[in-house]
Amino acid sequence: MAGVPLRRDVVTEQATTLDVPLVELVDRLLNRGVVLTGEVTISVAGVDLIYLGLSVVLSGVDTIRRHGADV
Amino acid sequence: MSLLLRAIVAAEDAGVAADLGLRSVSGTRTAALAAAWDAGRAAGEAELLDHHRVVQAVFERVPCLPARFGSVFADEEALHARLALREADLAAQLIRLGHRCELAITCAWREPDVLARATSVPTPSGRAYLERGLTQMRGERARERRAEAIVARLLSELAIEPDSIRHRICPRPAVAVSMSALVRRDEIDGLRSRLERLGAQLGDVTTVMQGPWAPYTFAVSE
Repeated sequence: MAGVPLRRDVVTEQATTLDVPLVELVDRLLNRGVVLTGEVTISVAGVDLIYLGLSVVLSGVDTIRRHGADV
Repeated sequence: MSLLLRAIVAAEDAGVAADLGLRSVSGTRTAALAAAWDAGRAAGEAELLDHHRVVQAVFERVPCLPARFGSVFADEEALHARLALREADLAAQLIRLGHRCELAITCAWREPDVLARATSVPTPSGRAYLERGLTQMRGERARERRAEAIVARLLSELAIEPDSIRHRICPRPAVAVSMSALVRRDEIDGLRSRLERLGAQLGDVTTVMQGPWAPYTFAVSE
């Protein structure tokens, strides 16, 4: 996550008005589904994702870390 | 070239990979479908949504278990080794889930949580700060109680078996309830009608149903 502009004030503001259905989908893509842990886990750290909702992204990264991969 | 895992299918369905430009790595009972992936490539929103598009394309053709986005394997041998470790469990999940789909039901608050958005505004005193915090906490508890009541209505009206429902209340400021339902395709239209009727009765939330999707929420990891 290094280098990603975590503008918490902006994110919090956006999280109340953003496209809720899209966030629901992204949440599932990052946090649900079968895991076969590979040698590498892609870090998901794009600004657009941060814009979608900080909680979603952090939750996703946290899930990845729990499965023992480097992020 | 590395491989990015997309989905798990039954071994006899591995041929679908060729139709979708994917690689298949077969075990005894299951096969892993994966896409070529440059190990140094970064991922963002576009890659996430592309993963969903590919998984949906598989899901529309054959029963499948969707993979969580992000697992990359050095080569087919590495993917085969991981698949072999989980094959019995994955085959059992495919039987249980492969012919069913996930519907996402979201109830979003019509009114934004004004108090939650006001926390960045400075207060004139410590007392005012604490009082604002107390008011905010009470507001959050009230919203949680309301969200629990909405869940109870959803469970009652939708009449889905409890084992086929997962839900969270207030997962984000804008959302009261995030629910996943595991259903057969022939149940979707009836469920949609019941949800529309219920949504019209819930004045404080907007109710949205998405799907059918591959059963992301019900495909367990271990």
